[in-house]
Amino acid sequence: MIKLERVTKRYGNVIAVDDLSLEISDSCTCVLIGPSGCGKTTTLRLINRLADPDSGTVLVRGVDTRKLKPEDLRRSIGYAIQSVGLFPHLTVGANIGVVPSLLHWDKMRIKNRIEELLQLVGLPSNIYANKYPNELSGGEAQRVGVARALAADPPILLMDEPFGAVDPLTREKLQTEFLHIQRQLKKTIVLVTHDLDEAIRLADRIGVMKAGRIIQFDTPEAILSRPADDFVRGFVGTDRALKRLSRMIVKDFIKPVSSLRVGQAISEVRAAIGKQPSVWVTDEGGQPLGWLDREDAQHGKSIENSMVKINLSEIALNENSTLRVALSRMLGQGFRGLPVVDSAGRLIGEITLSDVEAATAQRES
Amino acid sequence: MQVLKKRFAPKNRPPFDRVTFFASTVGLLAFLGDWFTVRPNRLAPGAGMELVEAAGPLVFAVLLILWHSGLIFSFNYYRRGFARAFVIMSVLLPSIILFLVGGVAQSLAVQAGESGRVSVGVGLWVALAAAFLLASVVIPKYSPGAGFRSLAWLTLVVLPVILVASGWLSDFSVLQEIAAQGSRFRQEALNHVRLTGIAVLLGTIIGIPFGIWAFRSQRANGAIFFVANITQTVPSLALFGLLIAPLSALSFAFPVLRDFGIRGIGATPALIALTIYSLLPIIRNTFVSLDGIDPAMIDAGRGMGMSRTQIFRRIQAPLAAPLVMEGVRISAVQAVGNTAVAALIGAGGLGFFIFQGLGQAAADLILAGAIPIILLALLVDTFMRLMVAAVKPHGARL
Repeated sequence: MIKLERVTKRYGNVIAVDDLSLEISDSCTCVLIGPSGCGKTTTLRLINRLADPDSGTVLVRGVDTRKLKPEDLRRSIGYAIQSVGLFPHLTVGANIGVVPSLLHWDKMRIKNRIEELLQLVGLPSNIYANKYPNELSGGEAQRVGVARALAADPPILLMDEPFGAVDPLTREKLQTEFLHIQRQLKKTIVLVTHDLDEAIRLADRIGVMKAGRIIQFDTPEAILSRPADDFVRGFVGTDRALKRLSRMIVKDFIKPVSSLRVGQAISEVRAAIGKQPSVWVTDEGGQPLGWLDREDAQHGKSIENSMVKINLSEIALNENSTLRVALSRMLGQGFRGLPVVDSAGRLIGEITLSDVEAATAQRES
Repeated sequence: MQVLKKRFAPKNRPPFDRVTFFASTVGLLAFLGDWFTVRPNRLAPGAGMELVEAAGPLVFAVLLILWHSGLIFSFNYYRRGFARAFVIMSVLLPSIILFLVGGVAQSLAVQAGESGRVSVGVGLWVALAAAFLLASVVIPKYSPGAGFRSLAWLTLVVLPVILVASGWLSDFSVLQEIAAQGSRFRQEALNHVRLTGIAVLLGTIIGIPFGIWAFRSQRANGAIFFVANITQTVPSLALFGLLIAPLSALSFAFPVLRDFGIRGIGATPALIALTIYSLLPIIRNTFVSLDGIDPAMIDAGRGMGMSRTQIFRRIQAPLAAPLVMEGVRISAVQAVGNTAVAALIGAGGLGFFIFQGLGQAAADLILAGAIPIILLALLVDTFMRLMVAAVKPHGARL
């Protein structure tokens, strides 16, 4: 889809991109990462001709970009930068509609597209379409930025630190939504960031850059487990094992568990517990309330009175959480096993410390 | 109402409202000066009269009480009930003063006889200035709501205009001078507006492209601002004078040009000089407004596939418009004043009366030219402020 062949770009005496070759395949999220000044943003800008190479060739969908009019090329490539890129004098709707209007779509089609996209990024269009950028929070502005980049449904998206200007909590939420959207749309995405955690979370391929060159271009797992050299090793840091866990989703490692409902007869309880030391207890809707230890069950009281209650939000894991979150919660709460719930909050299984250990070992090889 | 409560919260409030206190004190001090000057004829020196001797104790007492209410309010500004009443009082005060002194002037004029003149004394000028100052401070600060505020401004302007138009104040010598000029006054006022308007229009048409050029080319930037800054340092009178020689030479060389009004004196050199003066604020503001746009905005536009023209039309122009318009406002207000000088080279305008008055040593005739120029400048300023607000993009208003 996108191919850079021995591309060099100089600014005065500074070589920003140095004899760089890179191939990004269809529907792949490629994250370029590196210290500031390593040429990652320039590489991004070479693709939509915001910068022209001094030597080498950039091919987009097999066509040499120099043969295309820059404006036409750019209109076929989505471009998102930090929230400052929204035009303050245009409404959210008009901001999203910029590229479609440059492409001379008719009004009705643009209007429908704006509604569709606002829906996609989770901003109800009846509330947001007529707001101005200065009325948005940082997270909302970034969502609009992504929607704007998607406006003309381009097959390729270029994103320069699209989640850079928000707090860590919002950033994580936006990243989750990004993954969700990308799973639906399957765009070819080139994303620039300096946040390694973000790269590991979002990327199919990571390109680690230094001084205008790509040092290693590989899957996040490979980058973490087999760094190409000392620079990459230093860049990914000593907590590589932990970072690898943030690529793994709890859902893939859970084991089903038997559970009790409040109000069940005590005889059923004994049968359900069997030889296990304890069992999770849920309410009628399936939401975990606590657990029941085997010894406590023998006293013959009702389940409510003998179980240990838990605080759901502190203990239960969402099925889409990463193993890294799971591990940190186990250590923080002092539990060897945690209940896992689906998006409706219903108990669907359990994950234990030994599962996490096994996962680490399995991917290490 | 919520805002009022917050602003007037007794916590940490200053002990008194300084500006209101200041204006009211000045208003009271004005009683010490002469309010009227009565002269046997137009040019003769006259005798000053204080308000009490001219108007009697009743009028004096009324004004004394009204000004004192300002002092009292300045210490009680945070009490909500007071604010509305005080805004109404201060909006009416200038008109009340005008109404009362108009009546006094009428009786003084009868006493002074056919050729006698009653003119405005220092005390009355100070009192009027203080009253308008008070209103212009109090209206924006204490009006309980936007509708009330607009109505207050309107009243402040319209009532005095009605008083002047109705003839109630016609016994003041300034208005007599204007009346004596008859249609000449209207003609020169129109001339003044026309000269100013054309000069600013030309300045805008020429200035904006130069501002854009200065923004786009580093080299042009230095040259443009060098020249534009120099023009501002040449005194206007000198510039008018300097243009006489080349233009008259031109018109002698090509007599056909005279048919288009190009001569050493008259409207043409005046327009050229006024246009040159109006350039700098417009060029400067155009440059600054474009230069101040976040480069990320331009980058986003480029990245989305806008051409240079589209970036200018869709991003730069709307974002720069308010500041450019602000430059036009500064130029326009400045041009109203500069046009007064243009009368010296025969271009006409309200300055004509000023220079005629200077020549005849007739102070009232000078005022007949000067006061309308001040009012015109205020009017232009208000109009241009509305224009600035009108071109401000909605997203930048909050």
